[in-house]
This record gives sequence, C-alpha cells and structure tokens, in this order.
Amino acid sequence: MTSLRWIGVIAWKDLRAEFRSGGRIAAMISFSVLACFLFSFSLGSLVAGRDVAAGLLWLTVLLASISGAGRTFDTEEEDGAFRHLLLSPVSRHAIFLGKAAANLVPVALVAAFTLFALTLFFRIAAPGSVALHAAILLPGAIGLAAAGTLFGLISRHSSLGDSLLPALTFPALVPLVFFGATASSRVFLDRPWAEISGPARLLWGIAIGVVAVGALLFRYLTDD
Amino acid sequence: MTLSARDLVCSYGPTRAVDGVDLEVTGDSILAVFGPNGAGKTTLLKALSGERRPDSGRVFADGKAVKGSDPEWRSRVGLVSHRTGLYTKLTVTENLLFFAALHGVTGAATAAEEALATVGAPELGRTRAEALSRGQRQRVALARALLHDPDILFLDEPFSGLDPSGAAVLEIILRARRSPERIVVLVTHDLRRGLRLADRVVVLRRGRKVLDDDRAECDAEALLGLFTDPGSRA
Repeated sequence: MTSLRWIGVIAWKDLRAEFRSGGRIAAMISFSVLACFLFSFSLGSLVAGRDVAAGLLWLTVLLASISGAGRTFDTEEEDGAFRHLLLSPVSRHAIFLGKAAANLVPVALVAAFTLFALTLFFRIAAPGSVALHAAILLPGAIGLAAAGTLFGLISRHSSLGDSLLPALTFPALVPLVFFGATASSRVFLDRPWAEISGPARLLWGIAIGVVAVGALLFRYLTDD
Repeated sequence: MTLSARDLVCSYGPTRAVDGVDLEVTGDSILAVFGPNGAGKTTLLKALSGERRPDSGRVFADGKAVKGSDPEWRSRVGLVSHRTGLYTKLTVTENLLFFAALHGVTGAATAAEEALATVGAPELGRTRAEALSRGQRQRVALARALLHDPDILFLDEPFSGLDPSGAAVLEIILRARRSPERIVVLVTHDLRRGLRLADRVVVLRRGRKVLDDDRAECDAEALLGLFTDPGSRA
C-alpha cells in the first residue's frame, strides 16, 4: 500500500471518530464564534472592522487550534490504540500526515466560521474576495494543523500536559500568524494581488516547512 | 523460524527493568514468560517485538538483527496487549478494516469476518467498541492481531477480562498456531493457563532471568516459589 493511501486511511479513521464524538469541533467553533462576538462588543464602536478583522481572525483561529490540539491524540490514547498503530508497517511520516490531514478539517472549519462571524458581527460590507481569503487561510490552517498534531503528541508525553502547548506553539507559529495576518489584512482592504502575493507565498513556504519539520520530528519522537 | 535475544538491557532511569536477558525460541513453540509484578515481563516483550529499543543487547529473528522501525519486521508481528487498543468510537468491523488496511490485507472484509468468527464473536461486527464488555474487547483485540496472520504473536496478559469460554477459545487458537514458521510469546500471571499452553518457560524476577526451561521440566509450585524466594533455583 502506498503512503498516500495510508494517509487517507488514517485521516478517514480520525475524522470518523471525531465526528462521532463531536466534542472537539463543536468546542473549537463555539470558542471562535464567542470570541468574535466579544471582539465586536468591545471594539465595534471604536474601530472600523476592516482595519482589525485580519488580526482578530488569525488570533481567534490560533487560539481555537491550540485549544483543540491537546485532544488530537485522545482517540489514540483512550484504549492504547496508538501502540498498535505504531506497531503496524505504516511509516511514521504517513501516520503524522494522516493525523495532520484529519486535524486540518476542524482548523479549516474554525477559520471559515471565524471569517463569517467577524464579517457578520463587525458588519463588514465588502470583506474582500472569498477565494483570496481561502488562498491565505488554507496554508495557515495546514501549518496550524501540522503544528497542532506534533505539539499534541509532545504534550501527551510530557508531565506538563496541555499546559505546555501554548508555550510550544506560540514561538513556532509567530511567523505563520504574522504573514497570515498581513496577507489577510490586505485582502480585507481590497488591495491588488501584487501586494498580497508576497506574504501569501511566504505563508505557503512556512506551512510546507512546518509540515516537513513536523513529519521529521514526529518520526524521531515515536521511534523508540 | 527462531527468535533470540542476547544480553538485553532495558532501563527506566536508574532502574533496570530488563537486566542482561538471553533467550531463544524456535518455531512450533509457545514461550510463556512468568514473573511477579515489576519483573520486567512487559518491557521484555516490548524489546522483543521491536517496540522499545534496548539500551544494550540485540534481538534476532532467523539470525538477523531486529530493527523495530523496519516495516517488514512490523508486518510480521501481531500484538495483544492488556489494553485492547481499539478505537472506541468505531465499530468492531471498522476497527478491523482499519488495521487490515494498514497491514495491506487483501480481501479485508472477508478476513475481518473470519477473524471475528475465529475468536467466537461473529455477532459483534456492527457494535461500537465503546459498547463492548472487557472480555468482548479482548476477543476483538485478538481478532485484530490475527488479521494479517503474523509470524510472531506477542500476548501480554491476554487472559485478563476473558470469561472461561473466551479463555478456552484463546487456548485453542494459540495451540492451532503452532507451526515451524510461527512463534507465540505469552506474558502472563496466570501460571495454570500459561503452563498448559507453553512449550518453553522463562521466569523473570527484578529484570533477571531466573529460569529458562522446557515446560516438561517445570512444576507450578516450584515456579510460584521462584516468584518470591530469591534463594531458589536461580
């Protein structure tokens, strides 16, 4: 079986279990919508929505992703299934990529809900092209999902547990959020593609880098 | 087929869980590893299966050094652990099909049905793992371990949670697996069942091997004595 099929099989298994339990995705989306409501409540009369929406969008998606990352390995640890997954002939890279692919779905859903909620609560009439937002948010979500998968594993095997996650993720994800927020802000302000493409390309590069480093470190962490 | 270990040492911090263990198992036989709690049985099993890299010493299969990260080695290994390792939100069939896919089992659906029938649980296919009793989960875990017909089957306390009929089914399955190309390594506290199945017996105490003998030479009372009496038969 090829690695691609293994990735698909693992992602499908994770998503099936995820949607049956439902708790993590619902909690992440609820958090993001509530955060957007509170941002609009506290800032709505002080600033123009389009000026701050990008920063709030990325901050909310980052925090929601971190809150969900700690539970990435819940299904694996519940009855000790991870031991059996690691003992299968599947490569560690395929396991990481499969789990990161499954993690991408809730992060992408949160990003979409957050964008919608910010547009609604801040009454942004022209939030920019949806396709451009997607082109910016997709690499961001990929990077966050990959980092969340790796840090979820690390926090599982640390005595500090989930409390370690923010400390690990924030420094690693600063460039991702910085270039993501920069690109998104230009989309919200309806700037031409020439101004958006620079940070967007950097964002894709960072996302691919996070996935590659994550796969390497995952192998190192799980090869005993 | 042969599985052997030379001077295996595995430590957790300053504690040596496995301390210089040598052993050899040949095909057509069942090795039972006994010992009191904390004797290092599970750690030894992890080192033999390649799950845990020993601090020193090597494991060999057919004379070749075992590397736990080698996919070919992992495809030859089956494991039943005391935690059943099922995905609780998936049904039994989904669990089996998932692991069958990972092992590249052809005709996965049929193989899953057959494995469930073998362990005497053909009716459990549509049940979610979270709804199963401990004994039912253990049967499904055994079915999963058999799916890809491994050369070497490692069992860590496989009788825990099984009712008498389940334990009897497990004994029948393990006896049926005796063949020159296959090895079964069984770690258990259950002396009576372990001795009934074993061809070869190893007793560990504080990580050290204190007995390695043919089953025919072993007596349950004497083995029990080895668990507690440092002065006996070391």
